[in-house]
Amino acid sequence: MKEEIIRINKMGKAFPTGEGQFWALSDIDLTIAKGEFVGFVGPSGSGKTTMLNVIGSLDSPTTGEVEVLGYKVSQLNQKQSSELRSKHIGFIFQTYNLLPVYSVYENVEFPLLLLKMKPEQRRQAVLDALQWVGLMDKIKSRPAQLSGGECQRVAIARAMVKKPVLVLADEPTANLDTENSHNILDTMQTLNKDLGTSFIFSTHDQKVIDHLRRVVKLIDGKVADDAVQTSA
Amino acid sequence: MLFKLALRNIFGNGWRSLINMIIIAIMVIGMIWMEAMYYSWIALAKTQQKEWEYAAGMFRVESYDPFDAFSWKESQAPISPELMQAINEGKAVPTLLSPAVIYPRQSMLPTLVKGIPAGQNLLKFPSGKLAGEAEGYVPAIVGTAMAKSTQLEEGEVFTLRVKDSQGAFNTLDLKLVEIMQTPVPTLDIGTVWIDLQRLQELKLQPDMASTVVFNDPVLARLSVPGFKYISEKEFFSWLGEIMKTENMSKYMIYGLLMFLAMLAIFDAQALAVFKRRKEIGTLAALGMTKGRIIRLFTLEGTFYSLFGIVLGLILGFPLFRYFAVKGYVLPEGYDDFGIAGFSEPVIYQYPIEIFINVIGWIMLITIIVSWFAARRISSLSPVDALRGK
Repeated sequence: MKEEIIRINKMGKAFPTGEGQFWALSDIDLTIAKGEFVGFVGPSGSGKTTMLNVIGSLDSPTTGEVEVLGYKVSQLNQKQSSELRSKHIGFIFQTYNLLPVYSVYENVEFPLLLLKMKPEQRRQAVLDALQWVGLMDKIKSRPAQLSGGECQRVAIARAMVKKPVLVLADEPTANLDTENSHNILDTMQTLNKDLGTSFIFSTHDQKVIDHLRRVVKLIDGKVADDAVQTSA
Repeated sequence: MLFKLALRNIFGNGWRSLINMIIIAIMVIGMIWMEAMYYSWIALAKTQQKEWEYAAGMFRVESYDPFDAFSWKESQAPISPELMQAINEGKAVPTLLSPAVIYPRQSMLPTLVKGIPAGQNLLKFPSGKLAGEAEGYVPAIVGTAMAKSTQLEEGEVFTLRVKDSQGAFNTLDLKLVEIMQTPVPTLDIGTVWIDLQRLQELKLQPDMASTVVFNDPVLARLSVPGFKYISEKEFFSWLGEIMKTENMSKYMIYGLLMFLAMLAIFDAQALAVFKRRKEIGTLAALGMTKGRIIRLFTLEGTFYSLFGIVLGLILGFPLFRYFAVKGYVLPEGYDDFGIAGFSEPVIYQYPIEIFINVIGWIMLITIIVSWFAARRISSLSPVDALRGK
């Protein structure tokens, strides 16, 4: 049996509204094991991104418990949350969120600077990460000089460079064409297999869904289905 | 890492950064220029007064208050033997003063007559012309301001009347041998100068003086009956009083300059926090603590001021140099203020304290303002920031 890295127990997340509160997620019970390639799928407003935010300790649950890598998210203070993300979690965003003033190399290097890694080790790790995503020829380019697909590959390299246990990808293909989407997904699948990194997606893109090994369907903030796909 | 990112963000901000830096540069130039003007003017005033009036130290009759005309009548005391020896050795110069009346051009004017040894050369005062007689008259000197107010001209004869120590009125016919240009108005305004010995004889006060100045600082240790030692600090205390008044207007100008510059910094940083919420969210997602993000934004503001200061020093250098060489000529009319240091161009000096003070204050205030603008990051949720809310 594989090691469980995420345990979610009776979790609910509410946001205040003018009249009271809106429950984006409720009664979520879920576990995710190390090395999974799983996605939260569902229509807009179903709570996919909120799930990722809570798992990534960017937000805390309103009710219930979320345990990530043995840390209870609701009990972490701001500094501990930052440390958890910095050491163990990589993020990939729909809009890439690269630092525009940094080169490709520097963007990928950034998480390692936060970890205060030694320069030599850092350099090797950055070059490895850029090798994985096939961007060795663009290391000096700025994000503005890259295509959308290339930017997302930089974002993947940035998320993977510290070899995190977990990568959270929020709609990673939403701004990409079909070919780039497949390339990105293939890259992430390869990294998942080679490095054993767990990937959790939030998506409603069928191309992504087709690549997932496990699909958790969310509807109106509740788990409607949780199925393993053998075809992926 | 924070340094590098802050620098990149500033340079990536283009014209907006440059405008902020130019505003700070203008403030730096303005503040250094003004500080140097006050500093140099005080230095000039002190130098001039030392050369003309104070030398290295002064003994003054205990009852004499230069700012109280009623004290002048009793402002004479015998010179002690020790001081007399120093005078004879050319290390000290006595002066005697007395209230008097002069009669120029059939008018009568109350005045102050001062006696100074004609042979002294310790002070810059042109006392050599007071020696001997001038065509049968006693030679006298007045300054340009006194000549203007009395309408006396060089070569003119006028009468001086003084009350002696016995209470009798004595008179002397004086001939104006020189209208002197002195940068020290207290030697000029309302004063007629004659030879010390003449005045002592007229007052029936031989070997008496009102002040004795000296060039050997060792003499300051003497205990002289009837006189008190006036330290440099005490003698120049009037400068401190003037500076207190000047500081009010100076700080108002600094405050205005500072306000404008800090408004630019605050605006830039507050706008940056608003515009760069997504970047803030990304940094938080990558594992940067809020404290470090706030430090990043504070550092950016600090860099604005640092570059602004460097720009100010570079742009201001020709101006600073010009005033250090040519000096600042005070506008017409300033020499009527009765204050030393206004009669010739103020040659600017730039001691290191001026730079340390100006740069220190600007840096400190910029850091506070930048931090103030960036501190709203602490109330920003990473999720909202990532959404750009």
